[in-house]
Amino acid sequence: MSHETWQEQLRRGSLDLAILLTVSSGPRYGLAIIQHLEAFTDLVVAEGTIYPILGRLTREGLLDAQWVEGEAPHPRKYYRLTKLGAKRLDHMTREWRAFAEKINRLIDAAQGHDHAAH
Amino acid sequence: MQLTDTGESRVNGYLFVLERSLKTFLPADVVHDAVREIESHLRERIAAADGAPNEREVLERILAELGPPLRVAQAYSAERTIDEAVTTGRFVPMVRAIWHLAVSTVVGFVAALGLLFGYFIGIASVAVAVIKPFFPENAGIQFVHGVPVGFAAQFPVSPDTDLRGGYAVIPLALAFGLGVLVITQRLARKYLAWWRGHHVS
Repeated sequence: MSHETWQEQLRRGSLDLAILLTVSSGPRYGLAIIQHLEAFTDLVVAEGTIYPILGRLTREGLLDAQWVEGEAPHPRKYYRLTKLGAKRLDHMTREWRAFAEKINRLIDAAQGHDHAAH
Repeated sequence: MQLTDTGESRVNGYLFVLERSLKTFLPADVVHDAVREIESHLRERIAAADGAPNEREVLERILAELGPPLRVAQAYSAERTIDEAVTTGRFVPMVRAIWHLAVSTVVGFVAALGLLFGYFIGIASVAVAVIKPFFPENAGIQFVHGVPVGFAAQFPVSPDTDLRGGYAVIPLALAFGLGVLVITQRLARKYLAWWRGHHVS
């Protein structure tokens, strides 16, 4: 697997978690979600591809979507976390932290070993 | 930034291509909702832009950041059609997903040809097993130069055709056909899962 492929898989694998985290603090519409993701991460490669993911998360019952009119010159579709979504986010966050901790330990151990070898 | 008629045409053109692409595999209400959301995104971006250096460049930048309409449509395809096919493994969603990839990518077209061949061989073999009890002389194992090449049925049987095998052909053709169908279906699911893994977002 090339480095780019690995990076791409890592990015895709973490997008769901990133989106759920973004709406966990309150309802946001599509562009606001993208802007939040862009401000904190480089997970968004093409903005238009985030919307199908929002659609899937909505179909899975993790997000609830609602069109709001009158707030701006054009209607906005707001997404908010459902109870199921909050539960899933909690699981995903814990799993992510545990996973990252283990990999970090592995990196530290490998680097410590390298230092010892030198 | 306020759009001129030219700018409006560019935006409408983008949305038109997106809508046409989505219509090939999504229900009308989902297409309407998706296009409305993408249009909302575009209008928001355009309204926030200052118009410098000029409308055309600003618009092209905004559209480039959104992604080409075909790519956006492909992302919807991967998330919806292919996701449903991979998750459920049901025949109809799988055929729909394979068809969509076949008409939108070269790799998808080649893969669909291979899978179609597998499904065809499987269904044809099962058909031979079904036909055999009713037309025992017309269905059997075909031999060419003394070598068995597969199950076949002919109406009428030509003098050059060498069809052999008694009723044992029925369980053999059935087992072979169903086996090929199961393998093809599994390969199709693996292919769709691979495609989803490499092309989503």
